[in-house]
Amino acid sequence: MTRARFDELIHAPTRLAIVSLLAAADWADFKFIRDEVRLSDSALSKQLTTLEEAGYVDIRKAFVGKRPRTSARLSRAGRAAFQMHVAALQQIIERSNSAAELNTKR
Amino acid sequence: MNEYVRPDEAADSLAEVRRRQRQLIDAVLIPGWYWWVVAAAMIAIGLATDTRRSVVLAIVIPVAVAVIAALTGGMIFGAYRRARVRSSELLGAHGALSIVGFVWLVVGLTLGSGFALRAAGSSAPATIATVIGAAALVIGGPVLGRWLRQTMLANRAGIDR
Repeated sequence: MTRARFDELIHAPTRLAIVSLLAAADWADFKFIRDEVRLSDSALSKQLTTLEEAGYVDIRKAFVGKRPRTSARLSRAGRAAFQMHVAALQQIIERSNSAAELNTKR
Repeated sequence: MNEYVRPDEAADSLAEVRRRQRQLIDAVLIPGWYWWVVAAAMIAIGLATDTRRSVVLAIVIPVAVAVIAALTGGMIFGAYRRARVRSSELLGAHGALSIVGFVWLVVGLTLGSGFALRAAGSSAPATIATVIGAAALVIGGPVLGRWLRQTMLANRAGIDR
């Protein structure tokens, strides 16, 4: 079972969207992420840089012909942090459900 | 921080996690029209084969094969360029085997029908065989696609197992 740890960095809505998308991928193209999450190039760059600085994302820059192509993926630490964050969210819901059940029994 | 996250907020965040992962899975799946185009190209090959005219064969077969190859290649590399789904985690060995199995089923059904029809003296064995193969493709392809999607959705993070 995955340990639960709430992660404030991941929980921010835009970063949660990016990290969730990356969680299902080995690698994702910058343009693909930008279009799916509906961000501008600069906004996505900023968010990816924040995640990269936290060690959650690996950025790969390559050239296809003469065109530069940037891809991103969750690092091992990022994937672990994401899974723990998801577990923490599930825990919050479960605790609330347990509390509600207890109140109903009383 | 998490003491300050209300359960409804946590539920919304989990829904967002699932939605984004579904978005990626849907982006890399094979679109429905692919099966129809490949099926049409298969039938064209069958029709051309039964004419037994070398000019028709020389034109139709390379064109149909090129269409199938270009479409399949474009589909695979296009999806690969956008995003590489975590197939080992989301799809597993069963998923990969089901894709290979489906391809062999269609090929086997088409060739098997073709040889059986020819042995039975059919006047258009290749056409009938490719129609049978094409039918398997347009019926089975979307079924396979839906099954792969369900498998990947069931294996993504944030799902209670």
